[in-house]
Amino acid sequence: MTEEYDVEFVERTDREARFLVRGVTPAFANGIRRAMLADVPTMAIDTVRFVENSSVMFDEQLALRLGLVPLTTPPVGEFVEDDTVTLSIDVEGPATAYSGDLVSSDDLVQPADDNVPIIDLKDDQRLEAEADTVLERGKGHAKHQGAVAAGYRHLQRVEVVDDVPEFEDEQSQIVRGVIEDDGELIPTSEFDHDLSNRYPGKEIELEDVPNAFVFHVETDGSFPVEEIVTRAADTIEARATELEEAVQL
Amino acid sequence: MMVPVRCFTCGTVVGEHWEEFDERANEGDEDPQEVLDELGVDRYCCRRMLVSHTDLVDVVSPYQ
Repeated sequence: MTEEYDVEFVERTDREARFLVRGVTPAFANGIRRAMLADVPTMAIDTVRFVENSSVMFDEQLALRLGLVPLTTPPVGEFVEDDTVTLSIDVEGPATAYSGDLVSSDDLVQPADDNVPIIDLKDDQRLEAEADTVLERGKGHAKHQGAVAAGYRHLQRVEVVDDVPEFEDEQSQIVRGVIEDDGELIPTSEFDHDLSNRYPGKEIELEDVPNAFVFHVETDGSFPVEEIVTRAADTIEARATELEEAVQL
Repeated sequence: MMVPVRCFTCGTVVGEHWEEFDERANEGDEDPQEVLDELGVDRYCCRRMLVSHTDLVDVVSPYQ
């Protein structure tokens, strides 16, 4: 059972993308969104052993901050859930401890951002700790949520109906997302989200294109956008297979 | 205390932008709106994280 979906990228950078998927039901689109948020395993620090902490924050507060630092997640198959990687940090004041000061025991698991401040250390203050990472899902804790602000909108089709009547004032018509005009995809940011900028003096009708969704996905740096979407689709497949096996007589 | 690592609402990492924001908008005299736009902090949930933050480490440290 393989269905083909038509996927087209509208905007694409390393950590943020907007892409159009055609031929999916609203339920499946939402399934993908939810899987991206809650079901893609990512690496994050979970247990911290403090050797010395004379900073102004308590151990558990620092442990939370360390946990929220995004780590690069290794390719599928390199690690399974329950595998751990140890990172260590040792910073002496006066200085600020950054996420980049975390030294990892495995090249595949590194802080995705190097300049997140962990704690400001004054004279004679010191932070020395060892941290174990786990591969977990967004369901369990927000620190394992790889996709950030993942969402989708209907693709909208614009139709020019008529000219604006001669003695009527032109009204702004705000729309956000991506519109389709003669098969061309245009992000609404190009005309300041206002259709009256793009079609001055025209009367416009907008309608949702059935089963076409424009996804907007950002990642926290754990992996590139394509990766999180394909992994989300894989988790849906894995769960569907599991269900199929479970109901087999 | 320290600036939160992530936005409470959406989970974007905002901590990395704090030092530049503080330097340019709080210490300096640039418009916070423009600074946030340049830093790429677009959503208002993430923007409030930086706008409303006060660093208390210097205030607390004498009582250590």
